[in-house]
Amino acid sequence: MSCGNPVADADALMQRRKKYDKTKNCVKCKVAQGNLVIRHAVYCKECFLHLVVHKFRRTLEPTVNPKPDGPRRTALKPAGNLLVGFSGGLGSSVLLELVHRCYIALDKSTMLADGGSHHPRHERVWKRVSVCYVEVCDAFPGMKDRTEEIARHIKRYDGLDFVSLRIQDAFDLSWWKRVGGKPFSSELGVTLADEDLFLESLASKSSDPLTSLRTYLSSLPTPTAITTSVQTLTRLLLLHTALHTGSSHLVFGTSLTSLAVSLISGVAQGSGFNIREETQEDWTPEPPEVSASEVPEESTNARDSQHEGKKARKGKRTVRVVRPLRDLGMKECAAWAWWSDVPVVGKEKWGWAGARPGIGTLTKDFIVGLEKEYPSTVSTIVRTCGKLAPKGEVSGSCILCARPAQRGVQEWKARISIRSRPPVDPIAALNGPSDPVVEPSPVASAKPLRPSLTPYLCYACHTTLTSKSARPVPSPWPADARSAIVTLPVWTEARLSSAKGDNDRTSHVHGEILQTRRVREEEMKEIVDEFLLDD
Amino acid sequence: MLSPATHTLAQILDSRPSTIHPTSLDIVMSTITVKVEFGGGLELLFSNQRSHRVALPARVPVSYSNPFSPPSAAGAEQGIQNSEDAPKKPVDLSYLIFWLRDNLLKERAELFIENGTVRPGILVLVNDADWELEGEGEYQLKDGDEIVFISTLHGG
Repeated sequence: MSCGNPVADADALMQRRKKYDKTKNCVKCKVAQGNLVIRHAVYCKECFLHLVVHKFRRTLEPTVNPKPDGPRRTALKPAGNLLVGFSGGLGSSVLLELVHRCYIALDKSTMLADGGSHHPRHERVWKRVSVCYVEVCDAFPGMKDRTEEIARHIKRYDGLDFVSLRIQDAFDLSWWKRVGGKPFSSELGVTLADEDLFLESLASKSSDPLTSLRTYLSSLPTPTAITTSVQTLTRLLLLHTALHTGSSHLVFGTSLTSLAVSLISGVAQGSGFNIREETQEDWTPEPPEVSASEVPEESTNARDSQHEGKKARKGKRTVRVVRPLRDLGMKECAAWAWWSDVPVVGKEKWGWAGARPGIGTLTKDFIVGLEKEYPSTVSTIVRTCGKLAPKGEVSGSCILCARPAQRGVQEWKARISIRSRPPVDPIAALNGPSDPVVEPSPVASAKPLRPSLTPYLCYACHTTLTSKSARPVPSPWPADARSAIVTLPVWTEARLSSAKGDNDRTSHVHGEILQTRRVREEEMKEIVDEFLLDD
Repeated sequence: MLSPATHTLAQILDSRPSTIHPTSLDIVMSTITVKVEFGGGLELLFSNQRSHRVALPARVPVSYSNPFSPPSAAGAEQGIQNSEDAPKKPVDLSYLIFWLRDNLLKERAELFIENGTVRPGILVLVNDADWELEGEGEYQLKDGDEIVFISTLHGG
């Protein structure tokens, strides 16, 4: 091809590559004219609508039974009920419609034709299906409360229980008791302004969850930390609601595109160790070290609950988090919603005046732009992340995000970090560390051992709470002054409280508390003195 | 879909030179009407109205809908006025996108248009078919076409 002037000569422009392979006919039925292009493959409307249902079932159903099936598929018998996490966005609207059609309305068009009308697949899988919506409008200024709108939307579907929560419930002791959490007296807070994250006694026992939420968010160091924390709080609220409703499964409407965004964004924020949990996870309310024979505390309190799923509550209860739309891109979800007349309530962008976009927003813009030009790349991201296996041992679960924490991350972080120390007197430096007058005693200079939140956190949460921005970050709630000591979410407080009451268990679950300090050469020599050979 | 008769008229109009003097036939087919729908929350940018009927000139200046050179505000006005000397072409989907931005969009144009085309994350259907099958912005609009814009990005 010669170099030409595209302005003068139209032929000088390179031909744009078609977005679809070969013909405009459907790749599945080969007959009908295509309606949609999915990663270069053309589908007609009818084949596409069936394909979405097939992909949804294919992703969800192998996870229904507590133990995976062998080569022969058995009947679907979940250990409890189903909870649908609903945000009002496109993915969760599609998910809710599919769950209703396939497992509540038992729409015949969503099932395979073979096996007869009395085939076990035509029976209801989950006894109860609940939908939980967490309203986050109180976390960001100027955001519209959509609870009523969402409630009206859910009413379109019969056979669903609606659970409405607010994001500040994460700091509400009454909600914690309602879902069967172990009661505790809120005493400890964390100094978020200090990167050592010391645990201190709270000056006043604030009873207002909204103030606690806003103080917590205002004390976070970056916009990324704020949005990530709201996501974590929402996830934990949903997980505890799943336990309370006796649900063995919690499903999210995360599409292939959204999953690619959360995987890349998560890795960028230091949660690479939890990359598998981002796709699917089995969550237990207690750390894995607790023996299976020990009944979790929430279970004891929830015994009188009227909800079903008692079977699931016996022994070690687990909530399996599944993302059944993870094989469907955003484009497929949008087309399916449009052609199936599924209304989308929508959700607002998280942000506030003066805030720069966080890692999550930047990653989303990048991935969505990438998907337009290179539609297969998003699928490649998810498939590649699916092959990754985290290295290192698990050391309990993070007290904040409840995901597995990697052992020894703090020691590793201390080794690779460049820390600024108080400047050393130049005369002292010249004289060497042996000058007892200038160099203070290491024992005297060592900080007293204060309890810290750090050993209880995973790497990602520790980074979220401590990684500071070079620029000043505008607070979403400037009126709520940054407090010196910040209240923590109720599940964190509950675990801290139980750890305080049971020191043996704390050391078992969380290991030793380590402190590092600078040691002089003479002191090191003293320690190994008796092993040294004489010159 | 178009009736065969209408289609023939449109083809006649497309093939004629742009400098032809107006005739009675020209007056009849100087505009086309298309139905535009918004979904997935995109309607919020367009007065919260999902369905619109839009009348567009059958032939438009070439430069106006060039996706690689989005017009400035002044240029856009010039484009709408259809200056007589400007080279013309049959109205296409790119022109419709700019026309919607300039005439129906009420707020935050950056959520609808980016780099001379719709923002990534907006699905466009032309008569119920993906616009990628129809040539995207180069698709020549016909009288009675149904164009749907669906946002997949409603939310944060």
